[in-house]
Order: sequence, then structure tokens, then C-alpha cells
Amino acid sequence: MKDLVDGAMARAMEFQADGGSGEFYRRLAEGRFQSTRCLCCGRTAFPPRPFCPGCGAGEVEWADLPRRGRLHAFTQQGRALRFLRPEVLGLVELEGVGLVLSRIDAPFEALSLGQELEVAFLPVGGGVVLHQFRPV
Amino acid sequence: MALAGGAMSALTKLRALDSFELVRCVVEEALRDAGIPRGEVRSLAVTPPGLAGHSTAMFVSRLAAYLGLPLRSLACLENGGTSGALALRWAMHEVRSGRCPVAVAAGADQRLDTRAEPGETVEAFIDRNVHTTVAVYGPYDGPYGLGAPIPYYAMSAQRYMAETGATPTDLAWAAVRLREHAQGHERAMFRGRTLTVEEVLASEMVCPPLHLADCSQFVSGAAAVVVVAPEVARALNRPPVWLRGLGEYHHPSSFSAGAVDLASFPSVREAAREAYADAGVGPRDLDVAEVYGVFSSTELILCEDLGLFPRGRSGAAFREGRASRGGEVVVDPSGGRLSLGHPACATPLLETLEVLLQLQGRAGARQVPGARLGLVHAEHGMLNGSMVSIWERDA
Ligand SMILES: [Zn+2]
Repeated sequence: MKDLVDGAMARAMEFQADGGSGEFYRRLAEGRFQSTRCLCCGRTAFPPRPFCPGCGAGEVEWADLPRRGRLHAFTQQGRALRFLRPEVLGLVELEGVGLVLSRIDAPFEALSLGQELEVAFLPVGGGVVLHQFRPV
Repeated sequence: MALAGGAMSALTKLRALDSFELVRCVVEEALRDAGIPRGEVRSLAVTPPGLAGHSTAMFVSRLAAYLGLPLRSLACLENGGTSGALALRWAMHEVRSGRCPVAVAAGADQRLDTRAEPGETVEAFIDRNVHTTVAVYGPYDGPYGLGAPIPYYAMSAQRYMAETGATPTDLAWAAVRLREHAQGHERAMFRGRTLTVEEVLASEMVCPPLHLADCSQFVSGAAAVVVVAPEVARALNRPPVWLRGLGEYHHPSSFSAGAVDLASFPSVREAAREAYADAGVGPRDLDVAEVYGVFSSTELILCEDLGLFPRGRSGAAFREGRASRGGEVVVDPSGGRLSLGHPACATPLLETLEVLLQLQGRAGARQVPGARLGLVHAEHGMLNGSMVSIWERDA
């Protein structure tokens, strides 16, 4: 069952990749947590895009995202399609970037708003690596 | 321009009729309600019959053929939860342009059985569901296994509570009052089933802090309204309900991606500001408001972003009955999304229908006495975009 979901997810992510997600996950699989930064105004966008959503410039470069952020909000879903057990999801505030949805690698009860988290990598099968965050 | 009449179907858990017949029934009934012969319809705008499931390409083309209606304007509009409001917007444009004195806006949402289809293998079933998840939630959020937008709204509720001091009991009061309102609606999903604050708090924790009873139920159903030019409106038997103001705003974000605030929504504040200014009225002037609150927490946040109650005070307003009959403004007299039922594509038209009935004094057991001015709010994404309209009956 898990293998079927993993395989389907890998295919769906490749088939439905947008202008930035293919490269984002390729870099994530290499241990690089990065997104696109505008060469014109310097703004880092998340999700990554081949242009700057702030100023419209067409020149961007891949740059490291902050490895640490603060827990802006979190919840738990008991019946996730992907993970067959209760999973904690959170929005992590990355300074200068904004809110990023991720898996939080800690028990729900142990978490509090505003706490500092650090990015970690989560291989999920099918060759896909996701990001997750852990309390520092 | 004015609303001349409207209708809604029964609301059912799964689809009860095929989509063409479902829409035909509400269109015909809305026209009968307005007292307008079907041959006078010049424009038909609809939503797709649901946001998930089978292909709906050229749905409206096939629908018009099924209806047997020659038309000068035909469109299918989709943008998530605002789809029904978009169909109404299209009808209003066509009436205002002068080409179509009578226009119908209809919305339908058909919930499919989410189990595997006949003959579908387990592999194909998983593939289909995973592809749908990634298509709806995108390549960044989708892989985390979101199957519904509930986690986003749960995190919104958490922020709202943390920032305003609102409690789970405050949220529960919204659900309880909406359930009370629904008792006056003969087609409400939760008519005949009472709800207490204790029962809300004891219901299953779906995504903390949201309990099952804090969430609306997706259902199948349809609604339609008839929009007419002023000269048509004045010739009808019932008092017309006039459009007074419109507002619309789309924040460049999608669900949480790009969001700046989860406890208050820029799209709602900005759309409301525009609509109030357009109408020359303020929130204090409203008698009724139908809002797109799909969760008890968003019901409270929406009331505040629409200016109905001060920040962090909506829970108290619901508890004290100030959002019910006899209060300052009746919020969701229909029972709202939580207790009327939520066929997403049709919801904005269900809301518009309720305001129409209230302003024409035809809402029966749930009638707000003397209702003269009403507001309708619809949203898409996680309140990333909002549409607000304000309606008034002749004095
Ligand atoms: Zn830029």
C-alpha cells in the first residue's frame, strides 16, 4: 500500500511539476534546501519560480533558504493520504521568505507557537525527498 | 439591476440526480418563482457541477442543449468557492450591458462516491487520488498528504485563538447558533438535529483545534437565481431586490502559500471595504448577512473582517444571540455552511437566495422581521479571494 502511494506520488509530482518544483525537489534530494532569489530586487520567493513575483524580473538564481524558522501554526491530521498515521503539519515562518508548509517531526503535544525549528530531510520512497522541521 | 426570484434543490450527501437534470430543475423553479416564462431567458451562466471528479468540459454547452434554450449568452465559470458568485456576476454583467434583460445564474455541486469506481484497480484508484491531491494542493503542499483543506483552516483557527484570546467555546457557539438557525429551514441538512456547546467540544477532534462539529459537510445540491433589468423587475408581482454594492479582491496567495495572515483575511477586508463604499452603507446598516464560513473559526473571523463585530468579539456575539434574530445583524439565517450544508459550487447562490427570501419577507419560520439590507460573501482558496455583494429591497 505504502509503495503504491509513494510511486503514485513520485509520478504525480513529476507529471504536475511547475516552473520551479522539479528543480526544488532535485536540490532537496541532494541535501540543498533552496529557492529562487531575484537578481534585480533580491527578494527570495517560496515556492520557487523562474521569475520574481515581487518585481516581475526574469533573472533569478537558486539560493539557500534559512535553515531555521519559527513555528507559526501547527495541527495534526489523523487520516492523511500520504502518511498512514497521525501527522503533525505546520507553517514555518522563514525570515525574509514567508510561510512554508511542512511536516513537523515532533509530537503535537510537545510543540508551541513561535518555537524555533530547524530543517531536516525526509526521504519518503519513490526517490522523493521532502523537507521537514524539528525543534532545535 | 435586481434579483427577481430563485430556487434551490434538496441537499443530499451524494448525488441524487444527474447534473443536467439537477440544474434544469432549479433553473425552471427559479423562473417560476420569478414569474418569468423560460422563453424570455437570454443569458445562462453556471458553475461546473462540482470541483472534483469526472471531466466537465463543455458542461454548459451540453446543458443548454438539454434545456432546449436558445440563448444570446452562455458561460461556465469556475474559481473554487466563488464559482457561484462568478456565475451571478456574469449574469449581472449581461443584464447591465443591455443585451440580456433576463439572465439566470445557477450553481451545482455533485459529490461523488469517493470509493473506487466499478472495475477500478487498487493501483488506478490510488493513482487517481494522489494525482487529484497534487493537482488541488500543488507540488509543495500535496506531497504532505492533504486530502482536504481542513489542516489549513485548523491552523487559521489556532492563530485566531492565539491572537485574539478566543476559546474553543467561542468557536462552538458559532456552530450552535447556526444549528439553531437551520431549524427554520425546511431543506437544511441538520434540521431536526439539535447541537449544544458540550456536544461540539465532545465531537471527534479532526484537526486540532477543530472538532468535527466545527466543520461543514460537503453535500450535493444546486441553486439558481434570476437577474433582471429594472424595467423587468418593476413589472413583476413581487418587490424587487436591488443590487446596491459589489466588492472583490484576490490576494496573490493560494491556500497557505504566500499567505500573510491566517487570523484575518486581506481579501475579505478589501472586498468588504469596496462593497460598502459602492453601496454607501456600513456594516451597522445590515439586517442579514450570509457568509462563506465553512468552519466555525472562519465564521467568527469573517464576521470581524466584514466589520460586523469587533476583533475577537464574534464568539461573544454569537453566544449572546447578537448574530441571531433580535440581535444586531442575523448572520447566516439559513443555518450557514455548517448546518444548511455546503455544496461548494452552489453555496454563493444558496446564500444569495437566502438574502433574496429574507428581503422579500418570504423566509417563513426563519424570517428576520423587517429585513431591508443584506450582504452575501463568498471566497476561494483559503479566503485568498473574496466577493461581497450588498442587496436592498424597495423601501
Ligand atoms: Zn524582484
